[in-house]
Formats: sequence, C-alpha cells, structure tokens
Amino acid sequence: MTLWSVERLLPEYIKRFEAYVPSKPDPELMKLFGCSHLYRLNNNENALGPPPESQEVLRRFEQPRIAVYPSGDCYYLRQTLAARFGRHPDQFLVGNGANEVITFVIKALCEQGDNIVTADKTFAVYEWVAEFSGFEARLVPLKDFAFDDEAMLARIDERTKVLFLCNPNNPTGTYWNVEKLRRFLDAIDNRAVLVVDEAYCEFVEAEDYPNGMQLIEEYPNLIVFRTFSKMYALAGLRIGYMAGSLGVVDAVRRTCIVYSVNTLAQEAALAAVNADDHVLRTRKMVSDGKEFLRKELRRLNLNFVTGEGNYVMIRLPISDTLAYRKLMAEGVMVRTMTAFRFPNYIRITVSTIDVMEAFVTALRKVLR
Amino acid sequence: MQPPQSSEVTLSLRADPAFLQLATSFVERAAMMFGLGRDEALALTLATEEIFTYLCEGIGSDSPLVMTCASGGYYVTEEFHFAAKHFDMRAFNLTARASFEDETAVRETGLLIASRMVDRFHFAGNDTGLRLTLVKEKAYPFAPDVEAPIAKPLKEYSVREPHPEELKLFVSLVNAHYRADLTPPGFAFPGKIVDMVSCGEYAPEIAVDDSGRIGGGIVRRWDGTRLVEFFGPYVFNQPPGSSIARDLVDACINAIARSPAVGLITRYPTPELPQEYFEALGTLFFPGVGGVTELTAFYRHLEEDTGATVWSHPSIEGFLKDEYRRLAFARELLPVREDGELPSPFSVLSAEFNRAGRGVTLRPVWWGSDATELVAAHVDILTREDISGLLFEMDLGKPWQCHFSPALLECGFEPRLVLPYAGKGDLVVFQRRMGEPLR
Repeated sequence: MTLWSVERLLPEYIKRFEAYVPSKPDPELMKLFGCSHLYRLNNNENALGPPPESQEVLRRFEQPRIAVYPSGDCYYLRQTLAARFGRHPDQFLVGNGANEVITFVIKALCEQGDNIVTADKTFAVYEWVAEFSGFEARLVPLKDFAFDDEAMLARIDERTKVLFLCNPNNPTGTYWNVEKLRRFLDAIDNRAVLVVDEAYCEFVEAEDYPNGMQLIEEYPNLIVFRTFSKMYALAGLRIGYMAGSLGVVDAVRRTCIVYSVNTLAQEAALAAVNADDHVLRTRKMVSDGKEFLRKELRRLNLNFVTGEGNYVMIRLPISDTLAYRKLMAEGVMVRTMTAFRFPNYIRITVSTIDVMEAFVTALRKVLR
Repeated sequence: MQPPQSSEVTLSLRADPAFLQLATSFVERAAMMFGLGRDEALALTLATEEIFTYLCEGIGSDSPLVMTCASGGYYVTEEFHFAAKHFDMRAFNLTARASFEDETAVRETGLLIASRMVDRFHFAGNDTGLRLTLVKEKAYPFAPDVEAPIAKPLKEYSVREPHPEELKLFVSLVNAHYRADLTPPGFAFPGKIVDMVSCGEYAPEIAVDDSGRIGGGIVRRWDGTRLVEFFGPYVFNQPPGSSIARDLVDACINAIARSPAVGLITRYPTPELPQEYFEALGTLFFPGVGGVTELTAFYRHLEEDTGATVWSHPSIEGFLKDEYRRLAFARELLPVREDGELPSPFSVLSAEFNRAGRGVTLRPVWWGSDATELVAAHVDILTREDISGLLFEMDLGKPWQCHFSPALLECGFEPRLVLPYAGKGDLVVFQRRMGEPLR
C-alpha cells in the first residue's frame, strides 16, 4: 500500500524550508491593525519616489505595447548602462530584481557539494537561495558590525564557488573601503567568484567607498549587483542587474531566464540611469533624516547603528517583533531584525522629516 | 557489534488476528536491533499486541496496515499506518470500548493499556491516512552521585555547542544549581542527554572560556513544526551584571532566526531569564514538590505578524479579546454559532501521553453533540490513571474545533494561553485545574 505524501518526494533541503510569507497589502494591514494611515519604513524604499525622468516614461507609456513581449535581454538598458559605466553591454545582465540575479549566479556556478560564504547578519537571500538549492551556506559572524575579511577567507575551501559581500551591509551600514576590497580580492586569488552587492551604493557619500564597476576590469572573478529598487524607487517594477567580466557574465547568462523583465521596468530604469539630480536630492533627504533620528534616539536613550545606506538599526528594550505589532497599531511599519540575527533591533528606512517625526512619536508611545 | 545501517524497518500486512504473532515478533526484534533493552523491548511488544488486536477490531481483517519501527537514537518508535476509510473514527477515543456493539465489554481499552507500557503515545491523521505512534525510550543509568565541579566567574567566554563530555559536565552543573522542575526532561540521565543531543532532539549551547570552564548554558528543542521551546538560561556562579544570560538567549534566537519556527517559548523560566526579550504568555500549573506550582510561560514571536482571522466561540471570546489586546496581535474574530443545524452524534479526541510528565494533551479530531460527555469521560479515565496535567489544544484556524469550548469549561478546563500561529491558526491551550473534582 502506498499512501500519497508529497513529503516523500521532497529533497531534504526543501523539507527544512518554510515558504516566505510576505506582508499583506496595506489596506488589509490597516484594517487588521486598526490604523488610519501606514508609513512603510520596512523595505528601505525611497520616499521621494522614482526620478522625474522615469515618472515621465511611465506617464507616456502607450498601453497597447503591453501586448508585445519585452526585449528579452534588456537590449537598450544594457547599452545605456554600458555607456554610463564605460563597459561593454555584454558585461551586464538584467533580472527581475537583484534577487533573481542572485539565483542566476548560484545556479550557474554551484553543483552538489559546493558551498558559498557570506556573513551571518546580512541580507538573507544569498543564504536562502543557496540552501533551498541544496548548497551549503557558510556563515561568518560579523566583526564590529562589519564583514570579517580574515574569517571569510578562512572558510574558503576547494568547494567554495561564490562569496557574497553586501557593501554597504544591510542592515548595519558598514562598508569595506577600496583598499580592503582589493586586498580581499587579491587573497581570493581567483579561486572563487566574489559577488559585491551594491544595492545601496548610490546612497554612499564616503570618499573611500570602492567603485565595483571599475574593479571589474582588474578582477575577472568579481561580480557587482545593483538595483533600481532603492535609490531609483522602482521596487514595484522589479528590476536589478549584475555586471562583471565578459567571461563570468557569459557563464551566468546560461542560467538566466529571458523575458523576465517587463517593458515598463526596462524603460523606467533606462530613464533613471543618468538621473543624478535625483540621487543628490535623495542623499540630502537621507542625511537630514539621519541627523534628526540621531538626536531623537539619543534623547530616548536608545542605542543605534547607522552608517551608509538609507536605514538605521535601533536597539530596543523590548522584543522587536512585539514593537513591530505595537508600531503597526500606530500606523508605522518597521523591519524586525530577529531574522537578521539581531534580536531586539528594528531597522527603519530613513525618510522625510515629517515621517521621521511620526515614527519617533509612535516609538515613544510604544516604549512608554 | 556494528550499529544497524538502516534506522527504519517496515512490515506491510493485513489487520488480521492471524498475523498477531508476526507483528509482535517484528516489533520485538526491531526494538532490540535498535538498542532497546530486553525489558523495554518486551513492553513495546506487549503494547503492540494490544494495539494490533484493537486495530483488527477497528479496521477489519481485510484492511492493509503498515507497521514501521524506527530508531530515534535514545528511543524507538513504532508506527501503525492505515487508510482512514477503513477506520471508525470513534475508536480514536481513549474511552472507546473494543467493540461499539458490546456495551458489556471491559471498560479499559487497548489504547489505554498500550499507553501504560510506553513513554509517549499519540494518534494523528488526515484524509489520506491515520498514524498511531508509540514511543519507548531506552533505559539509562542515573547521574553518578558525585559533586559537580565548582563553577567560577568567567572573564571572557564564547557561546558554542558542547562536545559530549562538556555536555555531561553542563548537565551536572544544571542539576547542582537548579530545581529539578526547571531542568529539561531527562537531565537526571547524562548519557540519555548525550544521545538526545546526538539525534537532534536537544540543541544545547554553553558559555565557556578558553580553559573549558562552563559559566552557563541553554537548551532548545522543537515543539511541533512551528514552535521552539527552550530551557534556561542557566548561569553558574557568575557575578551580578554578567551578560551570559543575554548572550545565551541571543545565541538561541539566532540559531532559529531563519528556520521555519514562528515562536520561541519557555514554560519553565529560570530567574536569569532576560524578560525584555519575551512576553508573558500566560500561566500553566505543574505538579511540584509540595503541591501544584504555577509557572508563567514566556514567549517571543520570531516573525512580523501579518495579522490573521481566527474563529471563536462566544464562551471564550472575552478571553481571546483580552489576550490579543494584551499581546498586540492583530486578529479578526469570527464567531462560530449553532443555528439549529443537526450536529454529528459523536465526538472524537486524540490523546498524546507523556508518562514522565504525568500529562496528557487532548486534541479534537471530530466534534459532535456528545462533546461534554466525551470530555468528562476522558477526564474521568485519565484522573484514575493518576494523570494530573490535562491540557487541551484548540486550533482557532478550524472553526469546528471551537464548538468544544462550552464542554471544556463545563468540565473544569480554563483557557490559559494563546500560541500564535501554532496550528492552522492560533492555538488556545486549555488546562484543567489540578485536583478539581469533575462537576
């Protein structure tokens, strides 16, 4: 007698996994938590919205074009990126958000028994994709809230295919400067691919922050990830990309799903590539918001971690998941840090001053 | 002797009394192969005899039955798996007689007799199949009667998993510094704990310095598929202001932060528990030295609550509203009602025994008009078994389960705590006040 059980068909590494449950749409959340407004400070989105150039593209978009498939390889966008960064168009690979590109890289490079190396307290998707694909994710503890280069090197073995560095790190905002990144690449010595996730690079103002696009020329094993979701506020269109040497991009392209990036996303992103004014205005907003927050958090006697990026991590005297629920009832949505292995911390997106004021008011009430 | 290569053996047969000897021989040999001693193997074999006979009555001699024995490291499980369509669900009930037609049959049932011979016992099922599982643990020697080494304050330490000898040392320190009711089950047997850790049942972490001195520790284990329970944090002779307890709790949370767990609970908190990490969930009663003690369960949700809709019977609506407000969980309560529709004539409960803890957890399988009588009969039979801890878990994601609420209240149960997302929806845990006479 054979009784049906889907569990019997699942690989062991899938059985260990639970599906990720995204939050409900805002109107549903507002109804459940009984709030009349909702400030989303959980996903590091840009409160200023997309650059005016992208907004114009979206306004002018002719709806009948929806009937036609998009460019399968984001042809014009890659041309524009190539011109902007002085590279060949084939050095770019665009995906349905940077998360899709992470999957492409791991699928292209890893086989059974291989491993990846990254930090324990960083963006979770590197670890998740590796593990639900059946590969070991070697997690190296952060040191002083930053990626630990020596410890990462010590975890490399002959089965290590990819190392992931989030620079600046989400959620701590720490970064490796150009000298440290070069030293690390030299030490890897082409034994594995280094992915530098620069999702928040446009927010960085530090002068010694490395430009991954330039280092690609020198290091054929370097891949740089960037996204249009954060600085360029196109998160709802899902578009991100990777850049690397011709050889490594050609290898990753073999596992890439073509046509996964829609036409609207491609055209809005293309318009955003050179929107430098938008970057400056956003940086000013983030800088003002951080200054305001630092002052208010000190007044509340709360410890916090802030570096580069449009986010601040705050240590609370209560459970972060409890704080989340209480803040939701006040109409403020934050990111809990338990899943980032920072229990009792929350991460908030730095936004406009009026929103930051609303957050501080709600936080004060929750902690009372 | 080499350990067996396979940790599971299976026998497929029919539920026919002619196969009784085959079934018992299979279990006895499998149990011994997986390391049970003669006495424990015999007890499991006798339980098998009861269950097999009982199933022959319940599912009929033409029905296929799969028996699986498996090694769990420190225990052996025996599972009976059969198709639901062959089974009269009323036989789930501990109170069911062997034959529904024979009212003069002995009061004691095969299930109850079998439950006395094993350490844990539970019944579960869905539309495709039913599983009855018996668990028999190996026998281990008690901890030797020697004094635990004196723990000293640690200047610098790291938190990590202990190796087996460190683990035994940790066990002896916990036993020396803490009341037995604050220690994890099995801590009287160091060898058993080593086996429990090795098979993944317990996951301990200790705070230890470079010279190997242990300053504290914490132990966690899965409680179902979505909840993790921990014991501790245990701290040995550390100065006031030591951060060991916090670091141990951090390590415990971080170890499961990206797992399927949605909640972390401790039902036996130590005084060193950093309460700012947790929410007081509610209290449960436990038999202790000198009478019944009441302990507060502390809980920490591990995810962002996305809100949910739950079902509720009017008789517990006030409790639920108060709890959800206190814990700040966003819930829409949908009332279940009885509008004169014809109910099923019978109810069914499953029982999970924990002999060591003298406890039974009842779970609804089917609701019917005899719910109050059935709950009362379970209370009666279990009280006579000297089972003092009676819990009832109700899944608020399944509306029909809420209909048990009035029956439970009438039989002396009280809703004690809500476990968010621990079932299809939230689970309400009822507990019967110990020593209360059946009304």
